[in-house]
Amino acid sequence: MIWQQLQSLAGSYPLALRGLGMTVMLSLISLVLGTLLGFGLGILRTGGNRLISGLIGAWVDLIRGTPFLVQIFLIFFILPEFGIELDAFTAGIIALTNLAACFICEIVVAGIRSVPTGQVEAALASGLSRLQRMRQVVLPQAMRIVLPPLVGQYVLLIKDSSVVSAIGLTDLTRVGWLVVQRVPNGLLVFFLVGVGYFIVCYPLIMLARRLEQRMGAAHGEVQL
Amino acid sequence: MTKTGLAKTGMIDFRDVNKWFGTLNVLKNITLSVEPREVVVVCGPSGSGKSTLIRCVNGLEAIKDGDLVVDGQRLGDPATNMTQLRTEIGFVFQSFNLYPHKTALENVTLAPIHVRKIPRAEAEKAGRELLAKVGLADKVNAYPAQLSGGQQQRVAIARCLGMRPKIMLFDEPTSALDPEMISEVLDVMVAVAEEGMTMMVVTHEMGFARKVAQRVVFMDAGAIVESGTPDEFFSHPKTDRSRAFLSKILRH
Repeated sequence: MIWQQLQSLAGSYPLALRGLGMTVMLSLISLVLGTLLGFGLGILRTGGNRLISGLIGAWVDLIRGTPFLVQIFLIFFILPEFGIELDAFTAGIIALTNLAACFICEIVVAGIRSVPTGQVEAALASGLSRLQRMRQVVLPQAMRIVLPPLVGQYVLLIKDSSVVSAIGLTDLTRVGWLVVQRVPNGLLVFFLVGVGYFIVCYPLIMLARRLEQRMGAAHGEVQL
Repeated sequence: MTKTGLAKTGMIDFRDVNKWFGTLNVLKNITLSVEPREVVVVCGPSGSGKSTLIRCVNGLEAIKDGDLVVDGQRLGDPATNMTQLRTEIGFVFQSFNLYPHKTALENVTLAPIHVRKIPRAEAEKAGRELLAKVGLADKVNAYPAQLSGGQQQRVAIARCLGMRPKIMLFDEPTSALDPEMISEVLDVMVAVAEEGMTMMVVTHEMGFARKVAQRVVFMDAGAIVESGTPDEFFSHPKTDRSRAFLSKILRH
Protein backbone atom coordinates (compact mmCIF):
# COMPACT_ATOMS: atom_id res chain seq x y z
CA MET A 1 0.00 0.00 0.00
CA ILE A 2 2.64 2.51 1.08
CA TRP A 3 4.89 1.08 -1.60
CA GLN A 4 2.28 1.72 -4.27
CA GLN A 5 1.74 5.25 -3.03
CA LEU A 6 5.45 5.96 -3.12
CA GLN A 7 5.64 4.61 -6.64
CA SER A 8 2.87 6.88 -7.89
CA LEU A 9 4.44 9.76 -5.99
CA ALA A 10 7.69 9.13 -7.80
CA GLY A 11 5.71 9.42 -11.01
CA SER A 12 4.65 12.91 -9.95
CA TYR A 13 8.13 14.24 -9.58
CA PRO A 14 8.14 16.27 -12.84
CA LEU A 15 5.04 18.04 -11.57
CA ALA A 16 6.68 18.55 -8.17
CA LEU A 17 9.75 20.05 -9.81
CA ARG A 18 7.55 22.40 -11.81
CA GLY A 19 5.80 23.44 -8.61
CA LEU A 20 9.09 24.00 -6.84
CA GLY A 21 10.32 25.98 -9.85
CA MET A 22 7.20 28.16 -9.75
CA THR A 23 7.58 28.79 -6.03
CA VAL A 24 11.25 29.71 -6.44
CA MET A 25 10.56 31.89 -9.48
CA LEU A 26 7.67 33.74 -7.85
CA SER A 27 9.64 34.26 -4.65
CA LEU A 28 12.81 35.34 -6.40
CA ILE A 29 11.15 37.91 -8.67
CA SER A 30 8.91 39.37 -6.01
CA LEU A 31 11.65 39.45 -3.36
CA VAL A 32 14.02 41.29 -5.68
CA LEU A 33 11.32 43.76 -6.75
CA GLY A 34 9.94 43.97 -3.20
CA THR A 35 13.38 44.71 -1.77
CA LEU A 36 14.00 47.54 -4.24
CA LEU A 37 10.54 48.97 -3.68
CA GLY A 38 10.75 48.44 0.09
CA PHE A 39 14.04 50.35 0.34
CA GLY A 40 12.60 53.12 -1.80
CA LEU A 41 9.50 53.37 0.36
CA GLY A 42 11.55 53.19 3.57
CA ILE A 43 13.83 56.01 2.43
CA LEU A 44 10.88 58.14 1.32
CA ARG A 45 9.05 57.43 4.57
CA THR A 46 11.94 58.76 6.65
CA GLY A 47 12.42 61.75 4.33
CA GLY A 48 11.11 65.15 5.21
CA ASN A 49 7.79 65.12 3.32
CA ARG A 50 4.98 64.47 5.78
CA LEU A 51 2.33 63.83 3.15
CA ILE A 52 4.41 61.16 1.37
CA SER A 53 5.47 59.69 4.68
CA GLY A 54 1.86 59.54 5.90
CA LEU A 55 0.59 57.95 2.70
CA ILE A 56 3.26 55.26 2.78
CA GLY A 57 2.56 54.63 6.47
CA ALA A 58 -1.15 54.21 5.82
CA TRP A 59 -0.57 51.85 2.90
CA VAL A 60 1.91 49.74 4.88
CA ASP A 61 -0.52 49.50 7.80
CA LEU A 62 -3.35 48.52 5.48
CA ILE A 63 -1.33 45.75 3.84
CA ARG A 64 0.09 44.51 7.12
CA GLY A 65 -3.35 44.52 8.68
CA THR A 66 -5.18 42.45 6.05
CA PRO A 67 -4.75 38.77 5.15
CA PHE A 68 -2.58 38.09 2.14
CA LEU A 69 -5.28 35.79 0.75
CA VAL A 70 -7.70 38.71 0.67
CA GLN A 71 -5.14 40.95 -1.02
CA ILE A 72 -4.43 38.43 -3.72
CA PHE A 73 -8.16 37.87 -4.35
CA LEU A 74 -8.69 41.60 -4.62
CA ILE A 75 -5.94 41.93 -7.17
CA PHE A 76 -6.92 38.88 -9.18
CA PHE A 77 -10.71 39.13 -9.11
CA ILE A 78 -11.50 42.78 -8.53
CA LEU A 79 -9.04 44.51 -10.86
CA PRO A 80 -10.56 42.85 -13.96
CA GLU A 81 -13.86 44.51 -12.99
CA PHE A 82 -12.09 47.80 -13.67
CA GLY A 83 -10.80 46.56 -17.00
CA ILE A 84 -7.36 45.51 -15.82
CA GLU A 85 -6.91 41.93 -16.94
CA LEU A 86 -4.12 40.08 -15.21
CA ASP A 87 -2.92 36.53 -15.64
CA ALA A 88 -2.46 34.61 -12.43
CA PHE A 89 1.33 34.82 -12.52
CA THR A 90 1.37 38.62 -12.86
CA ALA A 91 -1.26 38.97 -10.16
CA GLY A 92 0.82 36.73 -7.90
CA ILE A 93 3.96 38.76 -8.54
CA ILE A 94 2.16 42.04 -7.88
CA ALA A 95 0.57 40.83 -4.68
CA LEU A 96 3.73 39.25 -3.32
CA THR A 97 5.93 42.20 -4.33
CA ASN A 98 3.56 44.58 -2.62
CA LEU A 99 3.52 42.48 0.53
CA ALA A 100 7.30 42.16 0.53
CA ALA A 101 7.76 45.90 -0.06
CA CYS A 102 5.53 46.81 2.89
CA PHE A 103 7.27 44.53 5.37
CA ILE A 104 10.72 45.49 4.07
CA CYS A 105 9.78 49.18 4.24
CA GLU A 106 9.18 48.80 7.98
CA ILE A 107 12.50 47.02 8.47
CA VAL A 108 14.35 49.71 6.50
CA VAL A 109 12.63 52.50 8.44
CA ALA A 110 13.67 50.89 11.72
CA GLY A 111 17.24 50.59 10.44
CA ILE A 112 17.42 54.20 9.28
CA ARG A 113 15.98 55.46 12.57
CA SER A 114 18.56 53.45 14.50
CA VAL A 115 21.37 55.56 13.04
CA PRO A 116 22.26 58.19 15.66
CA THR A 117 21.24 61.79 14.86
CA GLY A 118 24.85 62.85 15.29
CA GLN A 119 25.79 60.86 12.21
CA VAL A 120 23.32 62.76 10.05
CA GLU A 121 24.41 66.05 11.59
CA ALA A 122 28.06 65.29 10.87
CA ALA A 123 27.22 64.49 7.26
CA LEU A 124 25.01 67.56 7.01
CA ALA A 125 27.71 69.77 8.51
CA SER A 126 30.27 68.67 5.93
CA GLY A 127 27.95 69.64 3.08
CA LEU A 128 26.81 66.22 1.87
CA SER A 129 23.58 66.30 -0.12
CA ARG A 130 20.54 64.33 1.00
CA LEU A 131 21.37 61.53 -1.43
CA GLN A 132 25.02 61.43 -0.39
CA ARG A 133 24.09 61.38 3.31
CA MET A 134 21.78 58.45 2.69
CA ARG A 135 24.23 56.53 0.52
CA GLN A 136 27.50 57.21 2.29
CA VAL A 137 26.54 57.58 5.92
CA VAL A 138 23.03 56.44 6.85
CA LEU A 139 22.38 53.33 4.75
CA PRO A 140 25.70 51.57 5.39
CA GLN A 141 25.05 51.88 9.13
CA ALA A 142 21.36 51.05 8.83
CA MET A 143 22.26 47.89 6.89
CA ARG A 144 23.81 46.41 10.00
CA ILE A 145 20.41 46.60 11.66
CA VAL A 146 18.43 45.78 8.51
CA LEU A 147 20.16 42.69 7.09
CA PRO A 148 19.35 39.99 9.65
CA PRO A 149 15.59 40.73 9.86
CA LEU A 150 15.51 41.29 6.10
CA VAL A 151 16.71 37.77 5.40
CA GLY A 152 14.32 36.47 8.05
CA GLN A 153 11.51 38.29 6.26
CA TYR A 154 12.50 36.59 3.00
CA VAL A 155 11.85 33.24 4.65
CA LEU A 156 8.38 34.35 5.76
CA LEU A 157 7.59 35.70 2.29
CA ILE A 158 8.67 32.51 0.53
CA LYS A 159 6.25 30.64 2.76
CA ASP A 160 3.53 33.23 2.13
CA SER A 161 3.94 32.58 -1.60
CA SER A 162 2.01 29.35 -1.01
CA VAL A 163 -1.14 31.48 -0.96
CA VAL A 164 -0.86 32.06 -4.74
CA SER A 165 -2.10 28.51 -5.23
CA ALA A 166 -5.51 29.95 -4.37
CA ILE A 167 -5.67 31.76 -7.72
CA GLY A 168 -4.62 28.67 -9.62
CA LEU A 169 -0.87 29.07 -9.94
CA THR A 170 0.80 25.68 -9.92
CA ASP A 171 3.31 26.30 -7.16
CA LEU A 172 4.57 23.74 -4.70
CA THR A 173 1.46 23.92 -2.52
CA ARG A 174 -0.93 23.51 -5.43
CA VAL A 175 1.09 20.54 -6.66
CA GLY A 176 0.42 19.04 -3.24
CA TRP A 177 -3.33 19.54 -3.74
CA LEU A 178 -3.16 17.99 -7.23
CA VAL A 179 -1.10 15.00 -6.16
CA VAL A 180 -3.21 14.26 -3.14
CA GLN A 181 -6.18 13.68 -5.44
CA ARG A 182 -4.32 10.76 -7.01
CA VAL A 183 -2.43 9.57 -3.97
CA PRO A 184 -4.81 9.73 -1.03
CA ASN A 185 -2.18 10.17 1.66
CA GLY A 186 -2.31 13.81 2.68
CA LEU A 187 0.16 13.35 5.48
CA LEU A 188 2.87 11.98 3.22
CA VAL A 189 2.21 14.40 0.36
CA PHE A 190 2.16 17.54 2.44
CA PHE A 191 5.12 16.33 4.46
CA LEU A 192 7.04 16.27 1.18
CA VAL A 193 5.66 19.70 0.23
CA GLY A 194 6.94 20.96 3.59
CA VAL A 195 10.34 19.46 2.90
CA GLY A 196 10.38 21.32 -0.43
CA TYR A 197 9.81 24.69 1.28
CA PHE A 198 12.33 23.86 3.98
CA ILE A 199 15.02 23.11 1.38
CA VAL A 200 14.46 26.57 -0.12
CA CYS A 201 14.27 28.39 3.22
CA TYR A 202 16.92 26.68 5.30
CA PRO A 203 19.92 28.24 3.53
CA LEU A 204 18.35 31.65 4.15
CA ILE A 205 17.82 30.86 7.82
CA MET A 206 21.49 29.93 8.06
CA LEU A 207 22.46 33.10 6.21
CA ALA A 208 20.42 35.23 8.60
CA ARG A 209 22.18 33.64 11.55
CA ARG A 210 25.61 34.14 10.00
CA LEU A 211 24.83 37.77 9.23
CA GLU A 212 23.69 38.40 12.75
CA GLN A 213 26.92 37.04 14.14
CA ARG A 214 29.08 38.87 11.63
CA MET A 215 27.31 42.18 12.11
CA GLY A 216 27.88 41.95 15.83
CA ALA A 217 31.60 41.41 15.37
CA ALA A 218 32.23 43.83 12.52
CA HIS A 219 33.92 47.18 12.78
CA GLY A 220 31.84 50.23 13.14
CA GLU A 221 30.03 49.43 16.33
CA VAL A 222 28.54 52.73 17.30
CA GLN A 223 29.91 53.40 20.71
CA LEU A 224 28.82 56.19 22.96
CA MET B 1 13.84 91.94 2.35
CA THR B 2 17.34 90.58 2.08
CA LYS B 3 19.79 92.55 4.14
CA THR B 4 23.00 91.03 2.83
CA GLY B 5 23.66 94.34 1.16
CA LEU B 6 24.27 96.05 4.48
CA ALA B 7 27.85 97.01 5.10
CA LYS B 8 29.06 94.23 7.31
CA THR B 9 32.61 93.15 7.75
CA GLY B 10 32.13 90.25 10.10
CA MET B 11 32.54 86.65 9.04
CA ILE B 12 29.62 85.77 11.30
CA ASP B 13 27.03 88.43 12.17
CA PHE B 14 24.19 87.85 14.56
CA ARG B 15 21.73 90.74 14.75
CA ASP B 16 18.82 90.55 17.21
CA VAL B 17 18.58 86.80 16.77
CA ASN B 18 15.85 84.97 18.66
CA LYS B 19 15.04 81.32 18.84
CA TRP B 20 12.46 79.32 20.74
CA PHE B 21 12.15 75.66 21.60
CA GLY B 22 8.37 75.56 22.07
CA THR B 23 7.76 78.36 24.53
CA LEU B 24 11.34 78.42 25.79
CA ASN B 25 13.26 81.41 24.49
CA VAL B 26 16.65 79.71 24.02
CA LEU B 27 18.34 82.60 22.23
CA LYS B 28 17.38 86.12 23.30
CA ASN B 29 18.25 89.13 21.15
CA ILE B 30 21.68 87.86 20.28
CA THR B 31 23.86 90.47 18.58
CA LEU B 32 27.40 89.36 17.98
CA SER B 33 29.93 89.83 15.22
CA VAL B 34 32.92 87.60 14.67
CA GLU B 35 35.68 89.05 12.51
CA PRO B 36 37.71 87.03 10.02
CA ARG B 37 40.59 85.21 11.78
CA GLU B 38 39.04 85.95 15.13
CA VAL B 39 38.76 83.25 17.82
CA VAL B 40 35.73 83.66 20.09
CA VAL B 41 35.23 81.43 23.10
CA VAL B 42 31.62 81.00 24.24
CA CYS B 43 31.07 79.89 27.80
CA GLY B 44 28.24 79.77 30.28
CA PRO B 45 26.29 77.38 32.44
CA SER B 46 24.62 74.28 31.05
CA GLY B 47 21.43 75.19 29.21
CA SER B 48 22.49 78.77 28.58
CA GLY B 49 22.11 78.38 24.80
CA LYS B 50 25.79 78.36 23.84
CA SER B 51 25.59 75.14 21.81
CA THR B 52 22.40 76.33 20.15
CA LEU B 53 24.18 79.58 19.28
CA ILE B 54 26.93 77.91 17.25
CA ARG B 55 24.57 75.27 15.82
CA CYS B 56 22.65 78.16 14.25
CA VAL B 57 25.74 79.30 12.37
CA ASN B 58 25.77 76.26 10.06
CA GLY B 59 22.02 75.84 10.09
CA LEU B 60 21.82 72.73 12.29
CA GLU B 61 19.27 74.89 14.13
CA ALA B 62 17.04 77.42 12.41
CA ILE B 63 16.58 80.87 13.88
CA LYS B 64 13.14 82.31 14.50
CA ASP B 65 13.79 85.96 13.87
CA GLY B 66 16.59 88.43 13.51
CA ASP B 67 19.44 88.25 11.01
CA LEU B 68 22.30 85.83 10.85
CA VAL B 69 24.78 86.47 8.08
CA VAL B 70 27.63 84.02 7.60
CA ASP B 71 30.37 84.63 5.05
CA GLY B 72 28.19 87.27 3.40
CA GLN B 73 25.17 84.98 3.08
CA ARG B 74 21.98 85.48 5.02
CA LEU B 75 20.64 82.31 6.64
CA GLY B 76 17.03 81.53 5.88
CA ASP B 77 17.20 83.56 2.70
CA PRO B 78 15.93 81.49 -0.24
CA ALA B 79 18.95 82.67 -2.22
CA THR B 80 21.34 81.10 0.27
CA ASN B 81 22.45 77.61 -0.63
CA MET B 82 22.86 76.03 2.82
CA THR B 83 24.61 72.90 1.53
CA GLN B 84 27.13 75.08 -0.25
CA LEU B 85 27.61 77.33 2.77
CA ARG B 86 28.15 74.35 5.06
CA THR B 87 31.15 73.26 3.00
CA GLU B 88 32.84 76.45 4.20
CA ILE B 89 32.08 75.74 7.86
CA GLY B 90 33.69 72.95 9.86
CA PHE B 91 31.79 71.67 12.87
CA VAL B 92 33.40 69.64 15.66
CA PHE B 93 30.93 67.80 17.90
CA GLN B 94 31.19 66.98 21.57
CA SER B 95 30.58 63.30 20.77
CA PHE B 96 32.95 63.32 17.73
CA ASN B 97 30.35 61.73 15.39
CA LEU B 98 32.94 60.01 13.24
CA TYR B 99 31.48 57.62 10.70
CA PRO B 100 31.97 54.26 12.47
CA HIS B 101 31.95 52.23 9.25
CA LYS B 102 34.77 54.23 7.69
CA THR B 103 38.47 54.37 8.50
CA ALA B 104 40.11 57.54 9.80
CA LEU B 105 41.31 58.35 6.29
CA GLU B 106 37.90 57.66 4.76
CA ASN B 107 36.29 59.91 7.34
CA VAL B 108 38.61 62.71 6.27
CA THR B 109 38.28 62.16 2.50
CA LEU B 110 34.53 61.50 2.23
CA ALA B 111 33.36 65.09 1.85
CA PRO B 112 36.35 66.29 -0.23
CA ILE B 113 35.74 63.45 -2.71
CA HIS B 114 31.95 63.63 -2.87
CA VAL B 115 31.27 67.30 -2.22
CA ARG B 116 34.39 69.07 -3.48
CA LYS B 117 34.84 66.47 -6.27
CA ILE B 118 38.56 66.22 -5.61
CA PRO B 119 40.12 63.13 -7.30
CA ARG B 120 40.46 60.26 -4.83
CA ALA B 121 44.26 59.99 -5.01
CA GLU B 122 44.66 63.69 -4.38
CA ALA B 123 42.12 63.67 -1.54
CA GLU B 124 43.87 60.72 0.10
CA LYS B 125 47.24 62.41 -0.12
CA ALA B 126 45.80 65.53 1.51
CA GLY B 127 43.98 63.37 4.06
CA ARG B 128 47.16 61.57 5.09
CA GLU B 129 48.91 64.92 5.50
CA LEU B 130 46.09 66.22 7.68
CA LEU B 131 46.08 63.10 9.85
CA ALA B 132 49.84 63.45 10.22
CA LYS B 133 49.34 67.07 11.18
CA VAL B 134 47.01 66.08 14.03
CA GLY B 135 49.53 63.42 15.12
CA LEU B 136 47.75 60.37 13.73
CA ALA B 137 49.95 59.36 10.78
CA ASP B 138 49.97 55.78 12.06
CA LYS B 139 46.17 55.58 12.42
CA VAL B 140 45.02 56.31 8.86
CA ASN B 141 43.51 52.86 8.45
CA ALA B 142 42.07 52.54 11.95
CA TYR B 143 38.31 52.51 12.50
CA PRO B 144 36.87 54.96 15.06
CA ALA B 145 36.10 52.12 17.48
CA GLN B 146 39.82 51.35 17.56
CA LEU B 147 40.76 54.89 18.56
CA SER B 148 40.71 56.64 21.92
CA GLY B 149 38.39 59.58 22.46
CA GLY B 150 41.21 62.08 22.01
CA GLN B 151 42.31 60.40 18.79
CA GLN B 152 38.73 60.34 17.50
CA GLN B 153 38.32 64.03 18.17
CA ARG B 154 41.57 64.79 16.35
CA VAL B 155 40.31 62.79 13.35
CA ALA B 156 37.09 64.81 13.54
CA ILE B 157 39.10 68.04 13.40
CA ALA B 158 41.12 66.71 10.45
CA ARG B 159 37.82 65.78 8.78
CA CYS B 160 36.73 69.42 9.00
CA LEU B 161 40.09 70.77 7.84
CA GLY B 162 39.90 68.49 4.80
CA MET B 163 37.21 70.77 3.42
CA ARG B 164 39.48 73.83 3.82
CA PRO B 165 36.74 75.72 5.65
CA LYS B 166 36.70 79.45 6.30
CA ILE B 167 35.10 78.98 9.71
CA MET B 168 35.43 76.28 12.36
CA LEU B 169 32.83 75.77 15.09
CA PHE B 170 33.60 73.64 18.14
CA ASP B 171 30.81 72.41 20.41
CA GLU B 172 32.42 71.43 23.73
CA PRO B 173 35.11 69.47 21.91
CA THR B 174 36.83 68.22 25.05
CA SER B 175 33.85 67.66 27.36
CA ALA B 176 33.49 63.98 26.50
CA LEU B 177 37.21 63.27 26.95
CA ASP B 178 39.19 61.76 29.77
CA PRO B 179 41.37 64.44 31.37
CA GLU B 180 44.65 63.08 30.00
CA MET B 181 43.36 63.39 26.44
CA ILE B 182 42.15 66.96 26.63
CA SER B 183 45.49 68.61 25.97
CA GLU B 184 46.19 66.61 22.79
CA VAL B 185 42.95 67.97 21.33
CA LEU B 186 43.52 71.51 22.60
CA ASP B 187 47.01 71.51 21.08
CA VAL B 188 45.52 70.76 17.67
CA MET B 189 42.93 73.51 18.15
CA VAL B 190 45.63 75.99 19.10
CA ALA B 191 47.54 75.10 15.93
CA VAL B 192 44.39 75.63 13.84
CA ALA B 193 43.78 79.00 15.52
CA GLU B 194 47.35 80.11 14.95
CA GLU B 195 46.96 79.48 11.23
CA GLY B 196 44.34 82.21 11.18
CA MET B 197 41.10 80.23 11.21
CA THR B 198 37.91 82.05 12.19
CA MET B 199 36.67 80.07 15.17
CA MET B 200 33.76 79.96 17.58
CA VAL B 201 34.51 77.59 20.42
CA VAL B 202 32.08 76.52 23.11
CA THR B 203 34.36 75.43 25.93
CA HIS B 204 35.20 75.88 29.57
CA GLU B 205 38.90 75.37 28.94
CA MET B 206 40.17 78.64 30.32
CA GLY B 207 43.79 77.88 29.41
CA PHE B 208 42.77 77.59 25.77
CA ALA B 209 40.73 80.79 25.95
CA ARG B 210 43.61 82.76 27.43
CA LYS B 211 46.07 81.40 24.90
CA VAL B 212 44.24 81.95 21.61
CA ALA B 213 40.90 83.70 22.06
CA GLN B 214 40.55 87.38 21.24
CA ARG B 215 37.22 87.43 22.97
CA VAL B 216 35.21 85.52 25.54
CA VAL B 217 31.43 85.65 25.35
CA PHE B 218 29.52 84.67 28.47
CA MET B 219 25.95 83.45 28.04
CA ASP B 220 23.25 82.81 30.59
CA ALA B 221 19.60 81.86 30.04
CA GLY B 222 19.82 82.40 26.28
CA ALA B 223 21.32 85.88 26.37
CA ILE B 224 24.83 87.23 25.99
CA VAL B 225 25.51 88.67 29.43
CA GLU B 226 29.09 89.75 29.04
CA SER B 227 31.76 89.91 26.38
CA GLY B 228 35.41 90.89 26.65
CA THR B 229 39.02 89.86 26.25
CA PRO B 230 39.99 86.71 28.13
CA ASP B 231 42.00 88.78 30.60
CA GLU B 232 39.14 91.17 31.32
CA PHE B 233 36.65 88.38 31.64
CA PHE B 234 38.62 85.99 33.83
CA SER B 235 40.30 88.59 36.02
CA HIS B 236 37.58 91.23 36.24
CA PRO B 237 34.17 89.75 35.49
CA LYS B 238 31.66 92.56 35.38
CA THR B 239 28.43 90.84 36.35
CA ASP B 240 27.29 88.80 39.33
CA ARG B 241 26.29 85.95 37.10
CA SER B 242 29.67 85.67 35.42
CA ARG B 243 31.42 85.92 38.80
CA ALA B 244 29.21 83.14 40.15
CA PHE B 245 29.91 81.04 37.07
CA LEU B 246 33.68 81.59 37.23
CA SER B 247 33.82 80.81 40.92
CA LYS B 248 32.27 77.44 40.14
CA ILE B 249 34.53 76.44 37.27
CA LEU B 250 37.74 77.85 38.71
CA ARG B 251 37.32 76.56 42.25
CA HIS B 252 38.84 73.15 41.57
